[in-house]
Amino acid sequence: MARFARRGLVGLVAALALTPPALAQTPPNMLVIGTDVGSIPTLDPAALNARTVSELVSNLYDRLVQIDPIELQTVQPMLAESWEVAPDGSKITMKMREGVTFASGNPFTAEDAAWSIRRVIKMGQVGSTDIAQWGFTPENVDDLVRAEDDTTLVIELPEKVSTDLVLYSLAGSSLGIIDSKEAMEHEANGDLAADWLRGNAAESGPFSLVEWRPNDLVITQRNDNYWGGQPAMERVLMRHIPESGNLRLQLEGASVDVGHYVGASDLEALAENPDIEIQNTPGFGFYYIALNQKDPDLSKPKVREAFQHVLDWQGLAKANMRFNGVPWQSIIPQGMAGAPQALEDHYDFDPEKARALLAEAGYPDGLKKRLYPASDAHLLNVESLQATARLAGIDLEVIPGQHVPDFRARDFDVYMGNSGGRLPDPFATATHYAYNPDNSDEARLSGYYMWRTAWDVPELTALTERSKRETNPEARAEIFAEMDKLYRESDPSLIVFFQRIDPYVLRANVEGYTGHPTWTTRWDEVTKN
Amino acid sequence: MAPITRMAAFGRGAIPTSAGLRVGLGRVVSVLFTLLGLLALTFFIGRLLPADPVLAVTGPEVTKATYDRVYLELGLDRSVWQQFLGYIGGVLQGDLGRSTTTGQPVMQDLMRAFPATLELSLAAAIVGSAVGIPLGIAAAVNRGSWIDHIARIIGLAGYSIPIFWMGLMGLFLFYAKLHWVGPSGRVDIFYEGMVPPVTGMMMVDAAIAGDWTVFRSAFAHLILPASVLGYYSTAYISRMTRSFMLEQMTQEYVIAARAKGLSRSAVIWRHAFKNIRVQLLTVVALVFGGLLDGTVLIETVFGWPGVGQYLTRGLQFNDINVVMSTVLMIGVLFLTINVVSDWLYRRLDPRTR
Repeated sequence: MARFARRGLVGLVAALALTPPALAQTPPNMLVIGTDVGSIPTLDPAALNARTVSELVSNLYDRLVQIDPIELQTVQPMLAESWEVAPDGSKITMKMREGVTFASGNPFTAEDAAWSIRRVIKMGQVGSTDIAQWGFTPENVDDLVRAEDDTTLVIELPEKVSTDLVLYSLAGSSLGIIDSKEAMEHEANGDLAADWLRGNAAESGPFSLVEWRPNDLVITQRNDNYWGGQPAMERVLMRHIPESGNLRLQLEGASVDVGHYVGASDLEALAENPDIEIQNTPGFGFYYIALNQKDPDLSKPKVREAFQHVLDWQGLAKANMRFNGVPWQSIIPQGMAGAPQALEDHYDFDPEKARALLAEAGYPDGLKKRLYPASDAHLLNVESLQATARLAGIDLEVIPGQHVPDFRARDFDVYMGNSGGRLPDPFATATHYAYNPDNSDEARLSGYYMWRTAWDVPELTALTERSKRETNPEARAEIFAEMDKLYRESDPSLIVFFQRIDPYVLRANVEGYTGHPTWTTRWDEVTKN
Repeated sequence: MAPITRMAAFGRGAIPTSAGLRVGLGRVVSVLFTLLGLLALTFFIGRLLPADPVLAVTGPEVTKATYDRVYLELGLDRSVWQQFLGYIGGVLQGDLGRSTTTGQPVMQDLMRAFPATLELSLAAAIVGSAVGIPLGIAAAVNRGSWIDHIARIIGLAGYSIPIFWMGLMGLFLFYAKLHWVGPSGRVDIFYEGMVPPVTGMMMVDAAIAGDWTVFRSAFAHLILPASVLGYYSTAYISRMTRSFMLEQMTQEYVIAARAKGLSRSAVIWRHAFKNIRVQLLTVVALVFGGLLDGTVLIETVFGWPGVGQYLTRGLQFNDINVVMSTVLMIGVLFLTINVVSDWLYRRLDPRTR
């Protein structure tokens, strides 16, 4: 037995010695993205809206148009070569790019484009959120979106709406153009190939899906006949690396080229590394404190106001939020129409003031409430609020966990989370923060954050409606400025402290990877040197 | 210690040959009853989870009409008993429902995740036994010496150092500094998809395909998580081995063997060790069972696509089918390990035959 054990040990050591040193670098023709592929429930463009899967699908499917990652209000051609807007703004006529083939070899026509748009509307899942806002329904979409011939697509608008908004929504990853012939070969029970497209793809984009293993890996291979030219990367892989410390080591060791969702402390360390570049990509969303207005205490305006003064946001900006957000306290994202020039008129961190406001509201002895983080990623912010709120006499009991469903169900007291949007227009954030057409529980409008907090200000809802219809840019900017002012003056139930930033960590030898604020980052221009 | 005595007693139960068939049948019935209890347990876990099974299927944005349709489709209007029978029927046909986090049938997910965890746990159990048993024996026969102290320190560290910290430190040293091992996943990323999956265990599949490059890469990825995980079982195995051996070393037969002039190593290995094999088997079986469902943290640290990670995700996102099915699977595994170790006792210990 001793001899056996000894032999076993010798064998093990020998095997380890024979193992070549683990190859440090990824090959030059392969891009490896370390990310979280654990929460991808589907690859169907019509059924998704989360960040990681949006990036993946944006490379499997081209859209009709795209948004420049830097000049966010500039719409550029993609599968639509050009387009024309009718003088009264009721119709967009698009000319399709010719000579384009899908990965299957099928030729691309306007019919595929019409089919893909109709499918998103008919399926009515999260992917349709943006485009359905313009009044398309499963009943009217067949008439309104149609191919006049192989190269002409007509989109008639069911109601008066800014055509810029419509074009922005067409650039979203859910509006990827699917090879309709290929997909329909896999249709079952009239499901528009939903079951098949969940785990397969009928690609029009620069990359094709090779394999997707949930909680593990996504492998894509370049499409050699891509109309935009052959991508430099032969393969792009997304690997599931949920542990930030491990991801950091792999970025440093060049086993990973691009990292998503790196934790704050690891970002601090990586920022010092000359081989690493951190891209701070602004997002169309905010970090906020939400106060449930169904709670009789929290619905008093003075109490809401008190919460404006209990978060040490300047302290957080230097710590946990350093790479995740920039201080911003308007619901119009920085640099957009109607946004304030700078963070002028900000909330003071002043627990004494908050204490006085609570006393005025009738709570001289303070308040006791439960505090819910959206997820573990918000724990540090939540703990910070818990500590500073205590100075104002607010006793917050933290309930750790994933509480987005509770937020949607109006089942919380105080909540901290962040929002994200895909339309590069203040209208997108306005629908989150300043839009609630029906405040009843039965309405279940859980897509709107204002509904989730049960806060009802009809004037804000009306302004959001107006901003959708208004086509004149100056008039729109005025609407948004007015909306922002009214929002602040109403002591909102959603108190915005930071504008979201999505940090993308890149090896310095990676060129052409530009984190896209609408989560449609493309891989076809990526090179490595 | 309680489970060991219980299992040992179970193993020793009665076996006149004529009644062998009856006992065998009795055992099958008891396993079936345990299975039924397990199914009831998982079914009620599904009821108790704070998640709406309808929303789990439809997603949160749902109209009243769709909600009602899915409610009926899922049979939620039927009585609890009818639902339970429906659940058992589904499980027997291999239908565990669909996961809301991966979008795939749970059965398919588990078929992929389980071999990964099995490979990791097997390797860890091998590491744990290969180090733990000799260490425990050495500590017992050299009681109070430096070997004993080292074994105790290793044991203490194994009980007290958090496993994810150990994993990260291991990565830092062996991956980032020494470049000996792979960083995460089961194989270097450029070898992904190169060997056809047969067993789902990467090293075995690579060996079957005869692809030794992939085999080495898989080994380089397996060895660190398996060693870290194995280290924690080493602690337990070596402590248990030590106490079993100490008990044997004071027995009269050992003194007699020594008096007869047998060498020290012959006494230790041929006499004392032979007598602790059954007890050790119980310990290793329990450790192995514990490894199968105790790999959650290490799987997360190493991005290992196994059952532990799958279950954690399921719990985080209220994925009812995943939680129910994974708990069921772990229960079935423990049952299997019990039955197998029970059978092994009878092979090893003549008294139980």
